Amino acid sequence: MGAPMIQARNITLVFKSKDREPVTALRGFNLEVGKGEFVSIVGPSGCGKSTFLNLLLGLIKPDSGEMTLGGSPISGPGQERAMVFQEFGLLPWRTVRANVELGLELKGISSPERAQRATELISLVGLEDFERHYPHELSGGMKQRVGLARALATEPEVLLMDEPFAALDAQTRDLMQTELLQIWERTKKTVLFVTHSIEEAAYLSDRVIIMTARPGRAKETLKIQLPRPRDYEMRLTPQFNDIKSQIWDVLKEELTSRVPQ
Amino acid sequence: MKRLANFYTEREQSILGGGFILLLIVLWELMPHLVPLSKGFSLFFTTPWKVIEAGYQLIVENKIQEHFYVSSIEFLAGLGLAIIVGLPLGLITGRSRDLDATVDPFVTIFNATPRLIFLPLFILWFGIGIWSKIMIVFIGAVFPLLINTYEGVKNVDRVLVNVVRSFGANEWQIMKIVVLPNSVPYIVAGLRLAIGRAILGVVVGEFFGASKGLGFLIATAATNYKVDVVFAGVAIFMGLSLILTMAVKKIESNLSRWRPEGAKTF
Amino acid sequence: MKKKLFAEHRRFWLGLGSVLFVLAAWEVLLTYVFPLNPFFFTKPSLIAVAFKEQVIYGALWGDLAVSSKAFLWGFSFAILLGIPLGALMGWRRKAGYTLDPFFTALYASPLVALAPLIIVVFGVGLFAKSVLVFALSVFPFIFNTFAGVRSTDRLLINVVRSFGGGETDLYLKVILPSTLPYIVAGARIALGRGLVGIIVGEFYAASEGIGYAISRFGDTYRLPEMFAAIFLLMIAAVGLTEGMRKLENVLAPWKTTQESR
Repeated sequence: MGAPMIQARNITLVFKSKDREPVTALRGFNLEVGKGEFVSIVGPSGCGKSTFLNLLLGLIKPDSGEMTLGGSPISGPGQERAMVFQEFGLLPWRTVRANVELGLELKGISSPERAQRATELISLVGLEDFERHYPHELSGGMKQRVGLARALATEPEVLLMDEPFAALDAQTRDLMQTELLQIWERTKKTVLFVTHSIEEAAYLSDRVIIMTARPGRAKETLKIQLPRPRDYEMRLTPQFNDIKSQIWDVLKEELTSRVPQ
Repeated sequence: MKRLANFYTEREQSILGGGFILLLIVLWELMPHLVPLSKGFSLFFTTPWKVIEAGYQLIVENKIQEHFYVSSIEFLAGLGLAIIVGLPLGLITGRSRDLDATVDPFVTIFNATPRLIFLPLFILWFGIGIWSKIMIVFIGAVFPLLINTYEGVKNVDRVLVNVVRSFGANEWQIMKIVVLPNSVPYIVAGLRLAIGRAILGVVVGEFFGASKGLGFLIATAATNYKVDVVFAGVAIFMGLSLILTMAVKKIESNLSRWRPEGAKTF
Repeated sequence: MKKKLFAEHRRFWLGLGSVLFVLAAWEVLLTYVFPLNPFFFTKPSLIAVAFKEQVIYGALWGDLAVSSKAFLWGFSFAILLGIPLGALMGWRRKAGYTLDPFFTALYASPLVALAPLIIVVFGVGLFAKSVLVFALSVFPFIFNTFAGVRSTDRLLINVVRSFGGGETDLYLKVILPSTLPYIVAGARIALGRGLVGIIVGEFYAASEGIGYAISRFGDTYRLPEMFAAIFLLMIAAVGLTEGMRKLENVLAPWKTTQESR
């Protein structure tokens, strides 16, 4: 496997607020993701999975522990990784094209170069006909494709995805999952994918990490023994069901046994 | 020490806000002692304490009661008329597309124009007695009430209307059971605006042509360079406005307890 | 065919019809039914004549210009001071806490009550009128900008930060466009209040301006001229206000602001 792309060791993070008791989101969290891997994180609500993504992004700092990305410690946002958000986060006053260019703009990339990158990515996600549309004119699935294009535009090594399909209806979600896999096969990024859906995690990933309830840490890791490229029919096989049961058995304990702090 | 810090953090908002206002008042009071004032300027200058004294004197010497009474009548009568006319009109135009279309140009035109423009006309018609003031209050206050009631009615949930209608309710019942309760937050917001406009009407109406009233008091004090009386009058209006607004807000929150996050019209 | 034309623009025709009806009824009633006491009433035909005289040949146009000048001075300062103040209050929480109660108290009080004082102190003229307009129209700018900045979608801020955007980027790319619809809505409200300021200023003590013209005509019982002046102001006011609405729609097509008119 070589040196891991993402490495987190003994991460602890406590949220302090003036009105309430401090909340320990993560305690002793360890994680490794190899280059080009597609890893999902599932866990009960409030277990800190989204928090961990934000830590990787560099928007917040852990209270203790180390994190490295591509071998170097994380020092701030904007380098080597990009996030796809659950609520899309598109700037409503910008067109699709301008939204896709946002990351490049912030990096100071020149206008002609931006335009070219944007064109490539817009066609990658299949939105060529909607370049000049505004977010409020798009469906949920389309909006998330813009989010994906935007994230890929800056050519990050790592793609962080925070429940990106949770806000979509079931059919669109299935479609987007398949599209994501296709894009991943083509671009060979390292992906860390947070989700509530066991099925989604099993279908998409090489490995699934199951987290404990809050304070969260990695409870168990399951390797998904399904061949690639994956297709929808695989979800209907008994083998897939077994995988889902395995994940569920581990997750189940966290949902009932522990009361979150 | 920690207790003090906790006390501060809990009430940070009010401490900062109230403290700022207090600071300004204190600075104002101390200004003549801190900064030398030119002769001309000191003619127009007054301090908070003098304002309070002036106000106190007005009350004690019984100079203010009559004026207060007159202004109140103008305010209440005008506002009352505005409610009687504005609310039903808002309800009807909200429910009937055609009626709305008929009335809309007038509402738009009159709402965009500063209603005080009609003051000379009203004084011409009604003289400088209370009726010109009542009319200007009316015409100022009726529009926020009308428009907000209209918005409230239009924004009612179609689903609810259909539900009630499916039980065989007629137009009047629909109005009573669904539309009216739903419109309450809008109406109350309109009332808040209307009160502001009404006070404006009283104040300006009495400036321009009156022989009695708080506004008249302020205007005459200004021409006589009695700046402290002017500010006392303004402070009284400010206080009244604040009290009325808080009262309306209280009514609003009581009537809107079932709402998650009500329609916050400005 | 004719029926279709009517039905499509029903709203427009009904509106136009009712205005024409009222004007016609007014004319008819005061010509044939009621005696026309020229000291108290007038009718549309006379008003039209007076309008032509005063606007095209007379001084009314000049009065409008004088009023506009004072209005623009006051209004411009309201924009220049109000927007940055509101932005400051929205962006720095402590500034907001400190200034909010003070401005709210001022906004809630009838500042017009100070008009006589302002006139007495600053005399009759451009400066006093501008001060009055400023005092009345600055607050909607402050509060609307405040609300606009505060309502900036946190998600969008996170998005821009996640791509490595700095403070300037946040201001220019997120906060400013996001606040713009609020500012424009505030401008509409400020417009109304500013007009009140200019009128009151000119009523109370002035020698020029539309407000002065109206009160002068009233004093001299020249009703047709008075109505003509009133109509002129109405046209200007409606034009400006509707223009503002159009501007709102153009600048913020993605936003439907809920505002009372």
